[in-house]
Amino acid sequence: MKKTIMKFAVLLLAIQAIGCASLGVEPWERDLLAKDEMALDAEGNDLGLDDHIYFSKEGTSGGRAFAGGGCGCN
Amino acid sequence: MSSLDSPKHYVIEQRNDHICGRFQAMASPCEILIDTQDLHLAEHLTALAYAEAKRIEYKYSRYIAGNPVDVINRSQGTPVGIDEETWRLLQFAQTCFELSDGMFDISSGVLRRAWRFDGSDKLPSAQLVAQLLPLVGWQKVRFDASSITLPTGMELDFGGIGKEYAVDCVAKLLTQNTVDTSVVVNFGGDIQVTQPRQHGQRWQIGIESLQGYQYIAKLLSIHSGGLATSGDARRYLLKDGVRYSHILNPKTGYPVRDAPRSITVAADHCVQAGLLATLALLQGAAAEDFLAKQHVKYWSFRHTDHHAQ
Amino acid sequence: MQLTKLTNLHTNKVPNISAALAAATCALLGTLPAQAAGPLEDWKIDTSLMYYGETDRVSAIETVINAEKDFGDEHIFVGKFVVDALTGASATGAVAQSTVQTVSRPSGAGTYQIAAGDTPLDDTFKDTRVQVSGQWTQPWSDNSRLSSGAQISAEHDYFSAGINSSYAYDLFNKNTTLSAGLALSYDIIKPEGGIPLPFGLKSYSAGPGEDDVGDDDAYENDDDDGIDARRADNDNKTTVDLLFGLTQVINRRMLMQFNLGYSMVDGYSTDPYKVLSVVNGLGLTQQLLYENRPDKRAKTFAFWQTKYALNNGVADISYRYASDDWDVNSHTIDSRLRINVGDNSYIQPHLRYYQQSAANFYQPFLIEGQSLPEFATADYRLGEMTAYTIGLKYGTQVNDGDELSFRLEYYQQSPKNAGFAEPGSLQNLDLYPSIKAVIAQVNYRF
Repeated sequence: MKKTIMKFAVLLLAIQAIGCASLGVEPWERDLLAKDEMALDAEGNDLGLDDHIYFSKEGTSGGRAFAGGGCGCN
Repeated sequence: MSSLDSPKHYVIEQRNDHICGRFQAMASPCEILIDTQDLHLAEHLTALAYAEAKRIEYKYSRYIAGNPVDVINRSQGTPVGIDEETWRLLQFAQTCFELSDGMFDISSGVLRRAWRFDGSDKLPSAQLVAQLLPLVGWQKVRFDASSITLPTGMELDFGGIGKEYAVDCVAKLLTQNTVDTSVVVNFGGDIQVTQPRQHGQRWQIGIESLQGYQYIAKLLSIHSGGLATSGDARRYLLKDGVRYSHILNPKTGYPVRDAPRSITVAADHCVQAGLLATLALLQGAAAEDFLAKQHVKYWSFRHTDHHAQ
Repeated sequence: MQLTKLTNLHTNKVPNISAALAAATCALLGTLPAQAAGPLEDWKIDTSLMYYGETDRVSAIETVINAEKDFGDEHIFVGKFVVDALTGASATGAVAQSTVQTVSRPSGAGTYQIAAGDTPLDDTFKDTRVQVSGQWTQPWSDNSRLSSGAQISAEHDYFSAGINSSYAYDLFNKNTTLSAGLALSYDIIKPEGGIPLPFGLKSYSAGPGEDDVGDDDAYENDDDDGIDARRADNDNKTTVDLLFGLTQVINRRMLMQFNLGYSMVDGYSTDPYKVLSVVNGLGLTQQLLYENRPDKRAKTFAFWQTKYALNNGVADISYRYASDDWDVNSHTIDSRLRINVGDNSYIQPHLRYYQQSAANFYQPFLIEGQSLPEFATADYRLGEMTAYTIGLKYGTQVNDGDELSFRLEYYQQSPKNAGFAEPGSLQNLDLYPSIKAVIAQVNYRF
């Protein structure tokens, strides 16, 4: 697992390093990203309900947000 | 980007809490106020605004040979093909004609051949007005989504809605180009704010306002929406103590009686505000009454006093 | 006078001009009607009603009301209210037998029978849960935001309270956002009949039991041979979650998010209703023992999500790798493809695949005569399994920007044998039955 985290950290740093050079858009190029359906938390209720189902039926939880506790279903 | 940049037809000015881009278009001083400190963004938006304003000016000015308006006006009664944007403008003009019971008429420009509002006492002859009157009448114009047929001798003039339309088009374009930044589009006092500013601030915008017989610069505090002014205190005729405003009744060929000298209206969109102001002026003495019934915020300026609601 | 004015308003056609002009303006500019309300919109309410039903097992109804209000200047409150009701049967962890089995109910009130060949289910699952949460987000500086919230969840045998806070920082013209968050929660478990002793004996008899099996006195008397003995009335656990995120705009169409999470659970982590069968060499169940899990669990996960704006829709794909010190490692791939149909409707297929390895103390049963392990569970949810979801959503705009949507999904879990030899008659039984469920949901957003 440590290895995985290390790899991930390197990936993040790499993205950071090139972040300002080639990634990203100018403020006037945000027309598509600004659409409601492009929000990472679009369909919040669906995602919340899914999280609850899979939290109670599977051995892993979290990812998108806090893994949390919260109910006696698991 | 570079093609818009050079040669530069606009000036960018960094101010205290925003950036202002200025240029000249549609015979008016135009300014774009941008709620940002990002010069790069301001420059980009101003260039876009300038290009869009010029596009509309070239397309719909009646002084430019070969543009759609010119082609229509010189069509001598033959059908002329139109594009989708022109079709939308004609439909809008049609709606305004119907709503105003024929008082708002984009074919009434020919009357200007008789009337020159230069502050003098030179009224046209009744004969000249009578000659021109048959050339006015939107109901005689036939158009559909792809073509228009204008009777010989008639002329169209988008001057009554062109500037407000340009303001809204520029505002829409800038909204698409900056998602979370408030922008003010101000073309000679016809104004559209794209969205509220950050931190609940209001825009302080200088407009020319009438006081007595003089224009003074007045600061206006605006949050969102559109604002437009109709009327012009400098354009009138004065004869035998009667003041003739430049607002012409297309049915009689004579100025509307007892109209306020200028009316400013606030509405969701600039073009809406502009039309309400113009329709109000066409009501003459009943202008304020008309606006009160529309439940819009307005400022009306008459000879010496002014009424606001 | 007032009356006259009002009459004028309705009889005179003048007041219609403003509205007609507004409509004409929208046609001219190709824009939606502007909100006359001004800068502050009303509450945005998102409501959902979901049905979840497993074949022959649990079914649940869950309603969600999510209310969001922007108080201006990016000061946003989100309140959420969830109610769910669960009924039906749930696997106890005991193995199927080739004969009828008789088991006592968790409350101790009576017994029930499991048909030959069936996985033992506890048919008394009936619970209602209420959850309330609130979250406040506001700018902290020009480039950063702070978000804090609290939540409470209560059901008759479980209570959870939690708080969370996270900080997000924008870089490179808001193209990159870094975030860090912390969440704490405190859970109290108060099972019916109390907390069972680790590996405590649960009343059981092979064959159709008689009424006196599992004599009522036994459940209330801890001294009675340890049968269904309870060590406490309730227990608790605390969870600390850390979450680090990076959101990166890739280009005009693509957005990516990376999250790293660490979660520490400390406290009672056993499922007080789950048991293990103790089987003899012939595969016959001799006893049922309550399961026992470690008191600590440390989980880590990495999550990656990409959203891509298509010309007429959105592609959304995410991958999660999770790993913990119970050795439950999982891979999850989740994808949604929104396809716009016309100007105001869309369909959205959904595919999800999940695969997990078994916890190191998972075993489907205990063997009679062997010494008890320190920890053991036969809960299939901690065993090896794969699962997939396939679904379709349809959404459409109604009434001026409200959205109505429907979702129908099929979810199947396939537990696997992680290499456990099956003695005797167990070889002829399906110890890892698939669980099949349907999810149906209606959303209305206004």
